[in-house]
Amino acid sequence: MKPQYRESSEKSVSLDPEQWVDAYGDYLFRYAMMRLRNRDLAENIVQETFLAALKGRKSFGGRSAERTWMIGILKHKIIDHYRKDFRERPVTDLQVMQTDEEQTIDGFYDALENPKKYPKDWMPDQQAILNAKDFWEVFHGCLGYLPAKTAHAFTMRELDDMQTADICKELGISPTNLWVMLHRARLQLRECLERNWFDIKK
Amino acid sequence: MNCSNWETETKLPLVTSCKQAARLFSLSLERKLTIREYIVMRVHLFMCKTCTFYGNQVKALRAIFIRHEEVLSNTPVSSDDQLSDKAKMKIKKSLMSNDDLS
Repeated sequence: MKPQYRESSEKSVSLDPEQWVDAYGDYLFRYAMMRLRNRDLAENIVQETFLAALKGRKSFGGRSAERTWMIGILKHKIIDHYRKDFRERPVTDLQVMQTDEEQTIDGFYDALENPKKYPKDWMPDQQAILNAKDFWEVFHGCLGYLPAKTAHAFTMRELDDMQTADICKELGISPTNLWVMLHRARLQLRECLERNWFDIKK
Repeated sequence: MNCSNWETETKLPLVTSCKQAARLFSLSLERKLTIREYIVMRVHLFMCKTCTFYGNQVKALRAIFIRHEEVLSNTPVSSDDQLSDKAKMKIKKSLMSNDDLS
């Protein structure tokens, strides 16, 4: 059998559960905060993640880096959280949400359906942005202006690259509901990033 | 919930507004547009420079967002962006007590 060189570096680190909190706690917490925006909730979900990891430790077997494995567990926990949250909402509540999304979209345009503020001429430089720490602070700030549910839908779609049909099943909403949420999120985020980053850094 | 049950925009005029064009653009990222929707969007983009900026920017930003996890692991932690010592203690305790049971 051929040795698997590519996997070896990923596999190498596997810590005792006593070391987990110090090694991965802050990383998982930051991720949870980005998604949940509530300290208590984020702390609880990080704890749940570690406990689930403890239970599943034997079946994990180092197929990927330990941290990647844990982030995977955390993501599922976050999705579970929002799933409950969405499902417990009455239908009227979802209708109110949809109306709010539509009104926000309308707010970007004048009576003739032209943008109130025309997009400026800029293009992001992918590599530069990936290295710019403050860009991601601005991005998280902009994401914070969206309602938590909209930000969650947007995150699953654009950051986790989930398929539209899966997200819509997950949230129990129609594809049109989802599309309107995503559209609102795109309009608002693009404008927020233009105002707070691209227009300044040019 | 039928997640493939999309509404289609049937009464689109050939020449449409920036608002409608941006909607079609977002829609095109979620499902294949109908031929009519596609043509209407293209016609608008052909005529409208700022909507072309808009579309290119949204697409370029998507390509960046998808790589966000690379950044999450590189960025150093700031003080208000980490687990409190109290929470760490609490989690460590619960890990230890659960480890004993297994």
